[in-house]
Amino acid sequence: MSLSFLDREHTIAGEGYSRWLVPPAALAIHLSIGQAYAFSVFNLPLSQRIGVTHSAPDDWKLSTIGWVFSIAIVFLGLSAALFGAWLERVGPRKAMFVAALCFAGGFEVGALGIATHQFWILLLGYGVLGGIGLGIGYISPVTTLIKWFPDRPGMATGMAIMGFGGGAMIASPLSTTLMAYFKTASAPGVAFTFVTMGILYFCFMMFGVFTVRIPRPGWRPAGWTSPPPRAMVTTGNVTADRAITTPQFWLLWLVLCMNVTAGIGVLGQASPMIQEMFPGSISVSAAAGFVGLLSLANMGGRFFWSSLSDVIGRKAVYATFFLLGAVLYALVPSTGRAGNVALFVIGYVVIISMYGGGFATIPAYLRDMFGTIQVGAIHGRLLTAWSTAGVLGPVLVNYIREYEIAHGVPKAGAYTTTMYIMAALLVVGFVCNLLVRPVDERHVTAEFAAANTAVA
Amino acid sequence: MTGESGRDQRSTGLALKLVGAWTLVGLPLAWGVWQVVHKSLDLFK
Repeated sequence: MSLSFLDREHTIAGEGYSRWLVPPAALAIHLSIGQAYAFSVFNLPLSQRIGVTHSAPDDWKLSTIGWVFSIAIVFLGLSAALFGAWLERVGPRKAMFVAALCFAGGFEVGALGIATHQFWILLLGYGVLGGIGLGIGYISPVTTLIKWFPDRPGMATGMAIMGFGGGAMIASPLSTTLMAYFKTASAPGVAFTFVTMGILYFCFMMFGVFTVRIPRPGWRPAGWTSPPPRAMVTTGNVTADRAITTPQFWLLWLVLCMNVTAGIGVLGQASPMIQEMFPGSISVSAAAGFVGLLSLANMGGRFFWSSLSDVIGRKAVYATFFLLGAVLYALVPSTGRAGNVALFVIGYVVIISMYGGGFATIPAYLRDMFGTIQVGAIHGRLLTAWSTAGVLGPVLVNYIREYEIAHGVPKAGAYTTTMYIMAALLVVGFVCNLLVRPVDERHVTAEFAAANTAVA
Repeated sequence: MTGESGRDQRSTGLALKLVGAWTLVGLPLAWGVWQVVHKSLDLFK
């Protein structure tokens, strides 16, 4: 069977194609791979694979199962960094196809591991293979969207990356429903759920594969003319290899790392945190409601803040994240002490919306700094900041809390120091963002110069 | 006349494609959001 339809030259849009078909294609990928954030729904059933209703001695421990998600996120960062340049060469369709194969294949290999109770097969399947699918899938639509929407790059990439936040909202109830359907007296139904989800996600991602197109050379939106040159938006292009030698890349790396660190630790601890800060007044189901609200803020923030960045600029949006975030983090302990649940919830909704906004606005910031030619590859390399923050954030929140409690601080006050540290991290992010200046002309690649828009 | 009807057909086809594509991604997302909103209501009970 010929797979030439995947080639870059076969994905150039014809006359009657609408650019508004690209965001749904990108969303199909991101809504699928966003499932990763809902992996925790499998934790308990996987720990009862043999005991079914309880954990038997031979069952996997929860701490062991936790490695599957961690490895998947590590491979997300690695594959995004390693395959970015390849993606720019082969185009979005082939990259999305490979992402679909890896992500869905990860489920199927993982199912084999669960069925045979071989943890290493599960780790290799969902963790490694699935993680590679996550990384390639995450960055695959970014360059394409930026080229189709030179007038609104923030909104376009925000829409796709919003899907990554929304994916967990679909995956969580879907997984629970499927596990309930496949559950038997001798198995919790996770293996069949994995098989089914692999097939479903593959089909859904293939919709993205077949729908995506790249603009033909020289294309631009009807009636749109390039805006007058602005200091913080380059008209040239910098290659990925060159970009990582610039201070701008590493400043933006720190900007993303600080923003993600401040949000990710809290997201993972949201349920116990609200219950411990308001003892007796927040039930388990109300805490689950709080977690749900944060997921909505995470998703909505991705679209809202990245769209706003098209109007007020990327630097101003990140300055808002860091200043407002630092103030809110500094105020959160007071709302806890005052017993004001509403203010606490509002504060965190805004904080998490900015956490999501940070992810969604960074591709457009990179485009402003380095041009469009290799922005997907540069974005892939920058995502190592996410992997770093994924370790740093939870460690800060969890270990400082444990340290405080071990030293006699009541649970309700055990998060105070952490919040102040988060506020300090955001101040560091603010300074890094402030230091971002346009990239020096010597880094601009001559062969791509002045080819900033609509070059397929 | 043939050119015009061809153009009409193409624009109808494109409109259908757009509606279909957005519905295909919008419906599961709306379902997921509803599940979360439904659960979040517990916070305000």
